[in-house]
Amino acid sequence: MALRLTVNGEACSLEVDGDTPLLWVVRDELGLKGTKFGCGAGLCGACTVHLNGQPVRSCSTPVEMAAGAEVTTIEGLSEGDQLHALQQAWIDHNVPQCGYCQSGQIMSAAHLLANNPTPSRDDIVAAMTGNLCRCGTYSRIVAAVESVAGTAGSAEKEGA
Amino acid sequence: MTLSRRDFLKVGVGTSGGLMLSMNLVGCAAGVKKGYEPETGEWTPDAWLELTTDDQIFFTLARVEMGQGTYTGLTTLVAEELEVPPEAITPRFAPAAPEYRNPLYKLQLTGGSTSLATSWEPLRTAGASARTLLVQAAARVWEVDPAECTARDGVVVHPNGSNSIRYGRLVELASKEELRDDVALKPRSEWKYIGRQRGRLDARAKATGTAEYGIDVELPDMVFSVVTRSPRYGGRVASFNRRDVQAMPGVIDVIEIERGVAVVAESYWKARKAQNELTVEWDFSDAFSMSTDQVFDSYRKAADDDDGRSERSEGDFEEAADAASRAVEVEYEQPYLAHATLEPMNATAWYQGGKAEVWAPTQAPDLGQIAVARVTDLSPDDVVIHTTFLGGGFGRRLTQDFIEEAAEVSYKTGRPVKVIWSREEDTRHDLYRPAMLHRMKASISEGAITGWHHQIVGPEILAWYVRNAAPAQFPWAPKFMYDTLGSVGVLFEGLATPKDVSAIEGAVEYPYAVDNIDIRHTLTDPGLPVTWWRSVGYSHNGFAVETFMDELAHEMGKDPYQFRRDLLADEPRHLEVLDRAAQLAGWNSPVPGGRARGIALFKSFGTYIAQVVEAGIENGAIRVYRVSAAVDCGQVVNPDIVKDQIESGVLFGLTAALYGEITLQQGEVQQSNFHDYPLMRQYERPEVQVDIVDSEENPTGVGEPGVPPVIPALGNALFALTGQRQRRLPLKADV
Repeated sequence: MALRLTVNGEACSLEVDGDTPLLWVVRDELGLKGTKFGCGAGLCGACTVHLNGQPVRSCSTPVEMAAGAEVTTIEGLSEGDQLHALQQAWIDHNVPQCGYCQSGQIMSAAHLLANNPTPSRDDIVAAMTGNLCRCGTYSRIVAAVESVAGTAGSAEKEGA
Repeated sequence: MTLSRRDFLKVGVGTSGGLMLSMNLVGCAAGVKKGYEPETGEWTPDAWLELTTDDQIFFTLARVEMGQGTYTGLTTLVAEELEVPPEAITPRFAPAAPEYRNPLYKLQLTGGSTSLATSWEPLRTAGASARTLLVQAAARVWEVDPAECTARDGVVVHPNGSNSIRYGRLVELASKEELRDDVALKPRSEWKYIGRQRGRLDARAKATGTAEYGIDVELPDMVFSVVTRSPRYGGRVASFNRRDVQAMPGVIDVIEIERGVAVVAESYWKARKAQNELTVEWDFSDAFSMSTDQVFDSYRKAADDDDGRSERSEGDFEEAADAASRAVEVEYEQPYLAHATLEPMNATAWYQGGKAEVWAPTQAPDLGQIAVARVTDLSPDDVVIHTTFLGGGFGRRLTQDFIEEAAEVSYKTGRPVKVIWSREEDTRHDLYRPAMLHRMKASISEGAITGWHHQIVGPEILAWYVRNAAPAQFPWAPKFMYDTLGSVGVLFEGLATPKDVSAIEGAVEYPYAVDNIDIRHTLTDPGLPVTWWRSVGYSHNGFAVETFMDELAHEMGKDPYQFRRDLLADEPRHLEVLDRAAQLAGWNSPVPGGRARGIALFKSFGTYIAQVVEAGIENGAIRVYRVSAAVDCGQVVNPDIVKDQIESGVLFGLTAALYGEITLQQGEVQQSNFHDYPLMRQYERPEVQVDIVDSEENPTGVGEPGVPPVIPALGNALFALTGQRQRRLPLKADV
C-alpha cells in the first residue's frame, strides 16, 4: 500500500505492505539503523520510537498504524551536532556497554522527561522497566536520567 | 596446574613434531602491509598502528568490542606509550590475519577474559616503538640526541623545551628510522591514562545510534533470508512445500541448506511472512530427543556407574571419610542456559565466484573463514571477514553457525544476503551452557573439615567446538577432511588439542586448606550442543563449591565468612577480597528486617572476587537489595570499566540464579522469548558496590569473573533467610 508518514520531521512516501512492522520500515526502507531489533514481540524495548510523541515498540507496530503520523527515532533526537541532553548524559556516565539496547533506553527516557521533567526514582524505574539490558547497565541509566532531571541523589534510600 | 580453554590449541608446539604445523594457520597469505605510502601519507609501523601526515592515528583492534570495553581499554594501552590521549586515536576492527591471533589460543578469538592480559605487553610495546621512531626522526631533523627529546600530546619537543614538531610531519621520516635498542616502556609513575582513563571511546556512537552492529550492515541489492531449523538438534530435512512458499509475494527463492530451509526474499518481513507458510517434514531418526528429566537421570546413572577421572587428588579422602565423626553429602543440579545476546544472531555474506566477503558480529573471524569454506567451493584464504560491533557476545558468537548459514545462502543464490534470526530462533537454536550435576561429600572431625570430595558430572565443550576449529590447525588439509579433523582433535586430546577443562575449571583450584581432596569428572554427554557461556565452568562450579562451603559452615555452627577466612591463611589475595567484601557489606552489622546476607568467594580467569548479597522475599518473589563486591584483577587500566564489568557480571549471574533455565521436551527447547526466558529488569536491580584492590600485578580479565560468586551468594542468603537449602537452580521464592 502507499503510505505517508513524517519521520524525524521529514515527510516520507512509501510503497510497503501495511502489516510490515514500523521497525523494518524505519531500518530498511528509510535506512535509519539506530533503532534495533531485539525480540519482535514488544518484550525488550530495543526498538522503541516515538509515534506522535508516545513511545511505541516499533517491532510490533504495523506501519499502517503510523500512516499520517509523526515518528521520531534516535536519529531525530539530536539537532544536528547538538546532542539531546540525555545522549550527552549517556556519554558522561559511560552508560553503554555493548550498546545495543541504548537507543531504545534513550527513547524511553526522553519520553519520560518530556512529560515529567523532574521524575522521582520510582518514576524513572517504572518508565525504564520495559527496556531490557543484557549487559546490566541499569544503575547508570538511572544516574544519567537523574543527572538531566536534576534529581540526582534525591533517592538514596532506595535499595539501602 | 591445569590447562584452561585459554590454552586451547596452544599445544602442538614442542609436544609433537607433526603438529608444529598448527602454527601455520589459515589466512597467512593476508598479512599486514607495513611501511610508508607516499600517495596517501599513511605510515604503518606495525600491525596495530597507522599514522597519517594529517595527524590522524588509527589503531587496529584485534579483540572485538561486545560490551566488555576492549575498544577503550586496549586503545588506552597504545595511547599511553604513544603519548597521545586515547580520544585522539580511532580504533578500527581487525580483519582476520595471523598478526591478530590471540596468543593464548593461536586463533583470532575474543574470549576467556584474556584481551587485556594478552595485550598488556604487546600493545604498549607497539605504542612505545612508534613513539621512539618519531622521536628519533625529530632528533635527526634537529641534529640533537634523541634521548634529550620528549614526546607528549602528539608532538615531539626539542631539548630546548620550546620547539616542537607534530607527529604528522614526522611520519615519513620516522618510517625510515630503525629501532636502535629494545624499546623501554614507561614506568608506572609516568602513566597518564592507564589507571586513570574514564571515558568510553564508543559511548558517543552508542548514544546516538550510529555504532554499526552486524544487523545494520547493508549492501547494494542485498536480499534477506530467514532459516527454519530442525526443532530437535540433528533432525534432517525430509521434505518441504517449496512451491507454496515460492509463490508468496517478494520471495526470491526457497532452498534447502545444511542447517534447514532458507526463505530468501526482498525484505525481512516478506521473508518472515513467507516462512509462516513453510511446512517442513523432518527426519528425526538421528535427532537428539531427550527431555530434561532424562538428561539428569542419565547424569545420575553415569555418576553411579563411573567415579570419573581424577582431576585433583591430595591425601586420602576415603581414609579421612572413614575416620570422620560426621559426613555431609549433597547433590546440586544446574540447568542448560541460553546466551540471550540482545542482538540476535545474524550475518551478511556476499559470494562472488572465487571469493566471499562476510560482515558479522563474530568473536572469532578466522573461524568464520572456515565456516564459509565449509559450505562453499572456497578455501579459507578466499574469505574476507569484516567484524562489526557486537550486540553482546558472552561466548555465543565463538561458534560461527550464523556465518555458515549466510554464506551458504549467498553461495546458492548468488546474491548478497543478510540472514537474521528471530528471538525465538536465537533462543531455541543456541548452543547452551551445559546442564550439570555435582555430587559433593565432606568429612568432618573435631570441628574441622578433613576431606573434600567433588564429583562433576556432565559434558565437555571442546568436543563441540573442535568441529569448527580443528581445520585451522591443519591448513593443508582438504575440506572433505574437516569433519575427520574434528574427530582427530577430540581423539588426541592433549596432543592435537589441549586438555578440556571446561567442566572442571574452578573446582580443581579449590583454595581452602583441607588435607584430603578428591576432585573427579564423570564425562557424560547427552548429545545437545553446548558451548562457552560467560564464565563457563566457573559458572556452575562456583555454585557447587561455594554453596557446599556454606552448608558446611552451618553444619559446623560457624559463621560462613569466618569459616572461609580460617581456611585461607596461605591465600593472601583470596583473603584480601573476602575481607573487603565483608567490610563493604557490613557483614557483622545487623541486617534490616526480612532480609539476610550470603557470602561467596571465587577466583576465575586469574581474577579474585568475593561478593556479599543482601536479599529477601517480597510479595512471593526473591528480591536482591544489595551486592557488595571486592575484586583484585591486578593493575587496573580503566577503573570505571572494571566497575561496570563487575556490575554487569553480577546482573548476568543474578539473571541465571533467578530465572535461567532452558528445558527440553523430547529434544525440543521449551523457551522462546523474553516472556519465558526472562532477563533481570530495571525494577529488580540491586544496588551494586565494587571495591577494587590497588595492585601492581599484571592485569587479568574482568568480563566474566563477576558472574560465578553471585549465584551461590544469593542462594546462601536465602538459606540464612528461610533455613531452606536450595540445591537446584534457578532459585525459587517458595520451596
